[in-house]
Amino acid sequence: MKRRIPLLIVLLTGIFGAVAFFVPHPAIRAADETMRNDVNRIIAAFSLVLGVGSIVQHHLLKIRRKAQFWSYSYITIVALVITAIIGLFGGIDVSRPGILPTRIGNFSFHIQTLYSNMMVPLAATMFSLLAFFMSSAAYRAFRARNLEATLLLLAAFILMLGSVPLGRIIHRQLPAFAEWILAVPNTASKRGILFGVELGIFATSLKIILGIERGWLGGGGK
Amino acid sequence: MLPLFLFLTSISPPEAVCARDVPNDEGGKILVVWQRSNDPNVLGYQVLRQKKGSEEWETLAFLGRLANRYTDDQAENRIHYRYQILAHSESETAVSEPSDYAFAIPHWFDLTTLPALVGTLLFSFIFVYFINRAKRDKGLFIRRIAGLDAVEEALGRATEMGRATLYVPGLSSMADVATIASLNILGEVAKKTAQFGTPLIVPVADPIVYTVAREVVKESYTTAGRPDAFHQDIVFFVTDQQFAFAAAVDGIMTREQPATNFLIGMFWAESLILAETGAATGAIQIAGTDAIAQLPFFITACDYTLIGEELYAASAYISREPLLLGAIKGQDYTKALITFLILILTILALGFNLPVLKWL
Amino acid sequence: MSEPRENILVHLLRIDRRYIYLILWLVIMLPLIFPFRIQPKPTPPVQQLFNYIDTMPENKALVISVDFTPDTRAELQPMVVALLRHAFAIKRRVGILAISVYGLGLGEEAIREVTAEFNAHALTHEDSVIYGEDYVFWGWTTPVLTVMLGMGERITNVFPVDYYGNRTESLPVMRHIKNYDDIGILTSIAASAIPLSWINFAQVQFGVNLSCGITAVSAADFYPYVNSGQFIGMLAGMKGAAEYEQLVAERMKKNGMDWALRNRGTEAMSSQTAAHLAIMGFILLGNIAYFATRGKRK
Repeated sequence: MKRRIPLLIVLLTGIFGAVAFFVPHPAIRAADETMRNDVNRIIAAFSLVLGVGSIVQHHLLKIRRKAQFWSYSYITIVALVITAIIGLFGGIDVSRPGILPTRIGNFSFHIQTLYSNMMVPLAATMFSLLAFFMSSAAYRAFRARNLEATLLLLAAFILMLGSVPLGRIIHRQLPAFAEWILAVPNTASKRGILFGVELGIFATSLKIILGIERGWLGGGGK
Repeated sequence: MLPLFLFLTSISPPEAVCARDVPNDEGGKILVVWQRSNDPNVLGYQVLRQKKGSEEWETLAFLGRLANRYTDDQAENRIHYRYQILAHSESETAVSEPSDYAFAIPHWFDLTTLPALVGTLLFSFIFVYFINRAKRDKGLFIRRIAGLDAVEEALGRATEMGRATLYVPGLSSMADVATIASLNILGEVAKKTAQFGTPLIVPVADPIVYTVAREVVKESYTTAGRPDAFHQDIVFFVTDQQFAFAAAVDGIMTREQPATNFLIGMFWAESLILAETGAATGAIQIAGTDAIAQLPFFITACDYTLIGEELYAASAYISREPLLLGAIKGQDYTKALITFLILILTILALGFNLPVLKWL
Repeated sequence: MSEPRENILVHLLRIDRRYIYLILWLVIMLPLIFPFRIQPKPTPPVQQLFNYIDTMPENKALVISVDFTPDTRAELQPMVVALLRHAFAIKRRVGILAISVYGLGLGEEAIREVTAEFNAHALTHEDSVIYGEDYVFWGWTTPVLTVMLGMGERITNVFPVDYYGNRTESLPVMRHIKNYDDIGILTSIAASAIPLSWINFAQVQFGVNLSCGITAVSAADFYPYVNSGQFIGMLAGMKGAAEYEQLVAERMKKNGMDWALRNRGTEAMSSQTAAHLAIMGFILLGNIAYFATRGKRK
């Protein structure tokens, strides 16, 4: 029973989702929109509570157990609580203050201030790491070990040359050739892979709707 | 005389005004088409509508001089309307004949989706056939997938080293089939970590995925006969912010030093940030995604990578369940059929100049 | 080959990645401090987008969907700024929205910057860029699907209130931008797959013209859609932004707006070019070391 009910819900909603694609009638469209917008939103709201619960529980447990690096967990929990309080009660910025005083003299710590001065630089730092990781990965991986690797190396080299002025100095048509590699062979191979991916998606969806694939229920299902 | 003649000339009205229900829609729409006035002085058109039984003409829209169609999306279903088009010049107005009455109705089938319906039914039939065949024929052959063969070895290594296994089910939501495929694989991996007694760490970036992943792991531990080994802390939600999540997972990799990292599901620009950090800690890494732009990064920085459709075949491959293997066979035959069709249609289009795209 | 030289090459093959990081850091930082001038030549996808917007009918609006988050600000924000400059320079109406809530601050930042530039040079009311008349910032709402589908019917229903709390129906500009029919082109600036959702929902169902601006790292994903014409043009990464900036600067100059504005994408080109050359150098070095020591490693 514990398994049958979820499987039945999946079967019915799965078939309904497919039917809604083919039937434009308002009765079906309205039900589909309710499913996609309202039901999804309600589930998301509940799961957010579970998400916050999970992060708090995870770190409290670490602190209680004095697990390795447990002191960092304090930072997470304190940051979570303070950001939530400022976000909920402290107003958006200087021109739109909230009920909590979030300004001392010229120094403001509204949510927009926290966003601009903490979140933006922290997130941008993580993204910038990509340049460093890419160069070290390219150094290790782009070696002409065999034919495939050599082709990969050449394509990468031409693309990089095409995007710097040096490329045009070497040959006037090199940037156009680099663009062609992206637009033609790259697109062709990408479509080939996409083709398999879409069929995989189709097969997985069908397996789940028909209840053959039960991995998402924890497997087995006997 | 000539200037006076020009002054007296009135502009010609739009002709052949025709109204009809917009096909294949949810109703409430009537398409009005007309022949433009060929007078160069016309500046634009005004669309008027009259309900049957009413005397009143209401203005629906003012359109530019190149307009020759208008979709009335304010029509009530099953109410008869007729339309009239006014052509305006700087100083004059010409009125067309009214159209015949037309009415909008909601449709029960969108005919433009017919090829998709035929395709869906055909492919579903092929799948069901092979799934049924798999029940009888147990020896279906599936080619080796190195990344999946390595799962057991990688988990064994973590057990020997007494270190944890990290499983990241991508950063997307449950709406992404790649995430569902990843959770299917997580189920199989969790069964094995439960059997081997290896610690498992599953950080998640979406609250709904977190809820499902926790249930999957819990069920797997129960199926493997080790419900006692499951604890709430295995699966935990981190954040839905892409790079904050990447920072958190990088932190886990460097602090906990897992022996094996699984990066399976939907990834974006954070893929290399995760994979390179994992490579730097010396972990065996198995990645899998259908995000094509991220594949080169995973191939470069990971030991094994499941490319595109291999991700969707993985749970069948690991579990060796005949029904799931049957579905893979169905997938392969469907692919062969589509490839064959593309070839034939390309030959027909290029060799015989037939308008094949119009048939689809 | 002598022993010590071979040893160096073997070491080079197994070089600590931190040395690579250090060199790359220097290569990126130095041109930012001592820049050299690089003017990229526009690639076809960038030129196509520019031409399309430049020749768009007067009654059609440009809509920019700020679909990225702060992490990619350096790479994508110059695109928003350049597009806004272009639209204001040729006097087209602009609508701005954010699909990601984190994009709100970025949209606001770009609007403030560009409107200040134009209004600082305006001599008449005509020259000024005025909120509610020439442009509107609809803000953010959720879920994504409701936004993309709802905008096809009536934008004021999707965004009853704009980012600043005004009722959108009360804004004069909204009389001219009712739904997708009034939008000449919608450009989604993103670091994720959101531009594809715009295709799936807004274009497939309502036929709106689309284009996109995306990070260089995900550009390869979008080429199939540029080739198929589903995106009229694309700005790929900082280079795409720099190319668009050049085209906009030329257009503004032609329109008598030679204001010497900052072009952040173009400014970063020297640093990016140096980094590309450094990475090519690394790859070459790695291969030289690989081939030179092949015999020994066997």
